Amino acid sequence: MYTRPLARLIDQLQRLPGIGPKTAQRLAFYLLKRPKQETLQLAQSLIDATEQIGVCRQCFTLSAEDPCDICSNPNRELSQVCVVAEPRDVIAMERTREYKGRYHVLGGLLSPMEGIGPEQLKVKELVQRVNRDEVGEVIMAINPSVEGETTILYVGKLLKPFTKVTRLASGLPMGGDLEYADEMTLARALEDRRELI
Amino acid sequence: MFVQSLHLTQFRNYLDQSITFEQPKLILVGDNAQGKSNFLEALQLLATGRSQRANRDRELIQQGSDQGRVLAQVERREGRVELELILRATGHRTARLNGVTQPRIGNLLGQLNTVFFSSWDLDLVRGNPQQRRSWLDGILVQLEPIYAQLSDQYQQVLHQRNSLLKQIPPVPDHELALWDEQLARHGTRVIRRRRRLLTRLAPLATHWQSVISGGNETLQLSYQSRIPDQGDDPLQIEQQFREQLAQKQAAERYQGLSLVGPHRDEVEFILGETPARLYGSQGQQRTLVLALKLAELELLEQVNQQPPLLLLDDVLAELDLKRQNQLLGTIGERVQTFVTTTHLGSFERGWLKSAQVYQVNAGSLQEVS
Ligand SMILES: Nc1ncnc2c1ncn2[C@@H]1O[C@H](COP(=O)(O)OP(=O)(O)OP(=O)(O)O)[C@@H](O)[C@H]1O
Ligand SMILES: [Mg+2]
Ligand SMILES: [Zn+2]
Repeated sequence: MYTRPLARLIDQLQRLPGIGPKTAQRLAFYLLKRPKQETLQLAQSLIDATEQIGVCRQCFTLSAEDPCDICSNPNRELSQVCVVAEPRDVIAMERTREYKGRYHVLGGLLSPMEGIGPEQLKVKELVQRVNRDEVGEVIMAINPSVEGETTILYVGKLLKPFTKVTRLASGLPMGGDLEYADEMTLARALEDRRELI
Repeated sequence: MFVQSLHLTQFRNYLDQSITFEQPKLILVGDNAQGKSNFLEALQLLATGRSQRANRDRELIQQGSDQGRVLAQVERREGRVELELILRATGHRTARLNGVTQPRIGNLLGQLNTVFFSSWDLDLVRGNPQQRRSWLDGILVQLEPIYAQLSDQYQQVLHQRNSLLKQIPPVPDHELALWDEQLARHGTRVIRRRRRLLTRLAPLATHWQSVISGGNETLQLSYQSRIPDQGDDPLQIEQQFREQLAQKQAAERYQGLSLVGPHRDEVEFILGETPARLYGSQGQQRTLVLALKLAELELLEQVNQQPPLLLLDDVLAELDLKRQNQLLGTIGERVQTFVTTTHLGSFERGWLKSAQVYQVNAGSLQEVS
């Protein structure tokens, strides 16, 4: 039905989250109708992003630099580490402009159903970091979903002998995503964080 | 409370059906498979967020559509509320209260209360344990809407823990311990609430049991669980939960299944000294179910300070005249009641008093005068 490169483009677009066959088709035709230069720019940014963005080897967030901007910023407290599940949660926390410490991205939450156990998360690295940098406080900024709670429990137990572990005060919607919490809610949760028992 | 109107859009076999209620009783009469139960199901859905029959929202949405809607105007003691629930084939729901989209579906709960009594419930006493658990849960979500969340969270922990138990090679103890702790914590929340509910229902059910049977046997509602009942202290219950998990660990690992917790618990009805499930005659068991339903009604009324709706699906004809009259006498004109039947002749004439009667035919309602 479609000429071959077009079919391939539609097929690729369709694999993106939230995009069905109809939308994929619409997007493909739109891209081809635009000035060639613009579409090539889009293609180039895809290539650049894929090739240049890697993982910061200290905090495991996505970054073109290693270490990332935050990890290499001497003004950010070394002794305070905020633990989040995904790189996008770093962005959510940064938007509050309240937080002056560093981050640690676990890369997911414990979920046996999805085959995610402690081995799949950057937990060992967190423990090492806490000891190496003499971290005084670890703030768990993780959704209070069942998987989030279990992850908080796990990390909290591991770190307890080495440092103070706190978590954001709830007030975050139960099972809600950090990403969707507005800045005010997050800023308040950060202020009201409490120590894990 | 009183439902003033109900509007179904692409819900089951109703394409677009709106109806206003003017009488305390609504009787839906029709042949099999015309949509009588579907109608009651819509009300149950608004009250509890779930349906006894459907596992997925897709089943509730009219075939060929990708979205359905249930909308009701409810007159409560505190004023009037409009409840709206939009169902999508994707499973994503939207809830509106007075036209305002709610951040959580749970916000709809607690606004409309129903006691659902169907012929299926006649098996409550001797049917499978799952039926008795969902009976308790259906009342609890109406008494304290947060229960819906607590029970969903427990189910989630349970699924996670079960897939952990199935893992090959076996998961190390310290990792299982993490989920044990979560299971105990979330399970305790469910168990405490179920026990509390039974404690409150028991005296009411005992009262109705003796009114209906004319006897004076005591009725006990006993929550059967591996976790012994030694008071309501959550820390202690959690502790006992963990002890039971430890005892059962080998078996759980072997079967790849969680064997301890509220998903395995059970209710036993004890009449006099004997479990009604084993020794009650069919008539006795029916009397007992009716007593339980009346107790449910009374409890919801006490807590909300207004009577819930009573939904009688195909059950009236199953009760003898004496029990029909007892039920009628109890609800009077105070309790808004919805009745479905295949034949108007199958119950007492008294039920037709102050009733609107509708004929149901392939998803459309027609008033019978
Ligand atoms: N999602 C759906 N879309 C369209 N029709 C549906 C849907 N789900 C169920 N139905 C139809 O609804 C009818 C069943 O309705 P319902 O269970 O309300 O029957 P009823 O009138 O209570 O019958 P009975 O007297 O046997 O209990 C069936 O004809 C079935 O095909
Ligand atoms: Mg039916
Ligand atoms: Zn970094």
